[in-house]
Amino acid sequence: MGNMITEALSMGWMAMALLVGILIYFQVSITDPAAKKRATFKTFIGIIAAFLLFFAIANYKNNFYGENRLLPFSLVMITATSFVMAMYFTNLGALLKIGGVMFFVAAFLSGYGNWLPQVEGGFPPKEEKLDFSAMTPQQLADEGEKIIFGGIGKSTVQGEIGKGQCPLCHGFQKGFLSERAPNLFGIPERAEKERLTDPRYHKGEPDKRDTVEKESCPGCGTGTTVQEYIAESHSCPNCYVVAGFGLKGSNDRESQMPKIHKPPISLSLPELAAVDTWLYVREGKEPPSYEEIIKTYEKFIPEADRPKQQEDKPAGPASVLLADGSEPVDQIFAKAQCMVCHTIPGIPGALGTQGPKLEEGTNAPNRIKDPAYKGTAHSTPEYIMESVVSPSTYVVKGFPDNLMPKVFGQKLSAGALKKIVDYLSQVKAGAPPPKIS
Amino acid sequence: MGRVTRKNLFSIMALCAMVGLLLLPIVMALPSPATGEEAPTADGAKKDGDKVEKGRDVYYKTEGIVVGAPAPKTMDGPRDYPRYNFESRVLLWFANQQHLYYGSFVLAVPIFCMVIEFMGVMTKDKALAKRYDQLAYDFIKISLTAYSLTAILGGILIFTFLTLYPAFFGYLSSIFRPVMHIYALMFVAESGTLYVYYYGWDKMKEGFLKWIHLSMSVILNVIGTLLMMLANSWIGFMMSPAGVDEQGRFLGNIWHVIHTALWNPLNVHRLLGNMAFGGGVVAAYAAYKFLASKTDEDRAHYDWMGYIAMALGVAFLIPLPFAGYWLMREVYAYRQQMGITLMGGLLAWLFIIQATMIGILFLSTNYYLWQAMGRMRGAEKYQRYIKYLVFLLACGYLVFITPHTMVMTPAELKAMGGQQHPVLGNYGVMSAKNGGINVIITTTVLSFVWYMRGNKVSTVSWAKFGNIFMGVFFACAYINIIWLAIYGYYIPANVRVGLSVPQVATTLSCLFFMFALNSVMMKGAKQMGPIEWGKISVRSQYALIMLATAFTWMMGLMGYIRSSVRLFWHVNEIMRDNSPWAYTHTTGFAANMISFNVLFFWLSILFVFWLGSLAAKKAPVEAKAGVPGSVPQPAGSH
Repeated sequence: MGNMITEALSMGWMAMALLVGILIYFQVSITDPAAKKRATFKTFIGIIAAFLLFFAIANYKNNFYGENRLLPFSLVMITATSFVMAMYFTNLGALLKIGGVMFFVAAFLSGYGNWLPQVEGGFPPKEEKLDFSAMTPQQLADEGEKIIFGGIGKSTVQGEIGKGQCPLCHGFQKGFLSERAPNLFGIPERAEKERLTDPRYHKGEPDKRDTVEKESCPGCGTGTTVQEYIAESHSCPNCYVVAGFGLKGSNDRESQMPKIHKPPISLSLPELAAVDTWLYVREGKEPPSYEEIIKTYEKFIPEADRPKQQEDKPAGPASVLLADGSEPVDQIFAKAQCMVCHTIPGIPGALGTQGPKLEEGTNAPNRIKDPAYKGTAHSTPEYIMESVVSPSTYVVKGFPDNLMPKVFGQKLSAGALKKIVDYLSQVKAGAPPPKIS
Repeated sequence: MGRVTRKNLFSIMALCAMVGLLLLPIVMALPSPATGEEAPTADGAKKDGDKVEKGRDVYYKTEGIVVGAPAPKTMDGPRDYPRYNFESRVLLWFANQQHLYYGSFVLAVPIFCMVIEFMGVMTKDKALAKRYDQLAYDFIKISLTAYSLTAILGGILIFTFLTLYPAFFGYLSSIFRPVMHIYALMFVAESGTLYVYYYGWDKMKEGFLKWIHLSMSVILNVIGTLLMMLANSWIGFMMSPAGVDEQGRFLGNIWHVIHTALWNPLNVHRLLGNMAFGGGVVAAYAAYKFLASKTDEDRAHYDWMGYIAMALGVAFLIPLPFAGYWLMREVYAYRQQMGITLMGGLLAWLFIIQATMIGILFLSTNYYLWQAMGRMRGAEKYQRYIKYLVFLLACGYLVFITPHTMVMTPAELKAMGGQQHPVLGNYGVMSAKNGGINVIITTTVLSFVWYMRGNKVSTVSWAKFGNIFMGVFFACAYINIIWLAIYGYYIPANVRVGLSVPQVATTLSCLFFMFALNSVMMKGAKQMGPIEWGKISVRSQYALIMLATAFTWMMGLMGYIRSSVRLFWHVNEIMRDNSPWAYTHTTGFAANMISFNVLFFWLSILFVFWLGSLAAKKAPVEAKAGVPGSVPQPAGSH
């Protein structure tokens, strides 16, 4: 307060000195007592108004970037000044009152804006051009953890999902549930001792494989080392399917996992190198070098199929979402990996059987009536929304609980969820599937 | 050649000159294909073999040949972001906002002039026709002074861009290069037509010449609107870029660059907004002149002027929320994330301020109309019902400004016990908010209807039936709007959103049918007494000033919201803002800055008004002949 008074006086001393000079002049020059009294009073009001004005300016100057929310008081002071001046300077009265009203409106709205909770958008995520090849194994592993789980240290938190979307199906910690795809805890050791030696793997003899896809590319061959096994698993999930994890009805000849370098996930080779490095490092094992890992992928992924590493795209909030709702519904199902577990009529490739068939136009009304149903839905769309966002609210008989991730409420935008709900509520048993929009 | 014939010839030549000015930019746009400088095509690409690089349009998804450089990847430093000892963004904000205020004003006023001049030409009452003509002339005179200031501010804006954001401005200029010269020529054409229109006023007062003059105002407004649309294409591109590939490289199709996802709704919204704003400024000018008037004659003139300006402004204010809904719908369709940031995220509190302001605007309008009824003999019969309108407006306003879902910190969330407030969370859903604003607009329509019939008694044989019908229509409208607002609580959110359609349809039905029916009923109506122009209360004039100031503030607020929604992008998802100011300010800071801009604009425009009054004092008052010689008695001049 004291500072601002000093500041106001230092800014306005000339104007105020002038007014004081006028006051003295009136005392000397005016002889009529009534006129002198009037002139003195008006000048005195002028001095007060000038001080208020400079105080208001000082407040603006000092607190322009401050967070004390007191700037509107400057406007209130100017409003008061205008109206007080208008009372005594009637020839300018209209203009001063108009100014007063304008300052009053501005003061009210500014005050309102300052009174509301203050929300500030932080700085954007730092734009980083990642050079994976120059990283230490630990740095590379950290990037891998970000790709898999969305952040460093998040691998121990159930439900965290990154760009790679791996935790949608795979478990990563000992004891974590992993019924749709193998738990990847201990994979470097298991690859060497169990997978490469599995007769069904047919190491070095791809033609003998009884799978829908025998090689990642013509002449690519099979993996011969642990790293090559991992690289082949990523680039050609169909080439070898761990027993019990194949697409239902395929007799483990076909995998439900998408090729990780293809859309919708499309990890680049450096990103895959980071992911693989994390698999070794987190178990305390020495990872192959970056170049070695890249070479293994180059063996299984022809150059034309290799996605380019995204550059200069900040990992803004939108990228956290699996789908933002601008995509057609079939792509939303693909991005959220729903088709891995569910059969969805009308959606190409959605033949999963680990979850119930999604004919919700028929199923939902019956489930709501089921005495075992304890949810809050009263309509088909509400039931579908509840099932997606909170899958454990009602578990269909014959299917296990906790198999479906509980993260879709955060990982799908409202628009994407709406599209899913709209589509599934139209799917009815025995009726042709709805159009994809 | 006789004098009249010479005048005719002169007028036709002036009109031809204006048409020429209008066509000039179009003709200038043609030479490219004529001289063979066609935009590169796929055929052209084949000739050049593999040297030609193709890109995919980020919005239209069409393929095109890359003809521009990628968007620069800026870095914080004097090369890309030179600066004075002040936040560059705030300086640009100020320069941009001032230019926009003046630009909106000088684009809106000629549209008013056109409408009022047309009313003058069409009216059969010669005295009234003269008054309309004089009013239109007064309007254009005000805008002429502001026009020079707009041009100066435009220059300052470009200077600010070039000195503070050279890389960004260079990139945008490179993208819009194919139409930059058209943009410049449009300015020339706008200035030329405005001066011909203004200086030709006295020479083209009567008969055929008046029609030519009116045609000039049409051309002037066509040019002005095209100019605004071209300016909008820049902000449309920044928000929802098109015509470039992912790297921001221009793909040769300038129409794609202009015609972005948000261009059309932005155009409509801005046009309506400019008109409402222009009405507000002129109404404030009239209020200022009214309050400063020394004679009854002047008071009468400026009272009438304020009423006409306010009526025109509000006529465009009423459809403005609907244009806003369209713009928001398109924003959601373009990027849902952007819509959520606006309405339910970072910028959501600003929309609460906006709702408050919309309420203030309509309350001020209604207050003015109720005060204006005081100068009509016969309007007393409505005065006792005004308290009920106040009740309806207050209820609608309270519902309209109640927040529902807000962005909160985890601590706030915990304190509140959930995303919604335990009590207020039950209110403020979309259908109820829509109900609130529709009740406010319908009440404003009712106030207008009462004002229009204030001093009249219908003489049509079916007057009684007409009055009952109107009463029942309004009652049903209120019941329907309020019922739908309540019904919204019993249905799912996605269905609830659809209730806005019947609610808006109800309001619009009231607006169009009731105005039309009232006009028919009041044709040849018996007058209880004249409108005593100039005898309106002083408070009403302050209501006009509040209306104008609040609208100016709202324009600043909405402009800030629209610009902030790009967050840390100069051009959304194409060119990143790497300056030290790539964050969004707090609500309070934004409010302070908007207030500063608003007050600076009003102080400067009061200066412009003062300059205008100096010119008026010096001019021989030939035009005064057109001003009502005594307190005006315009029959049916609502």
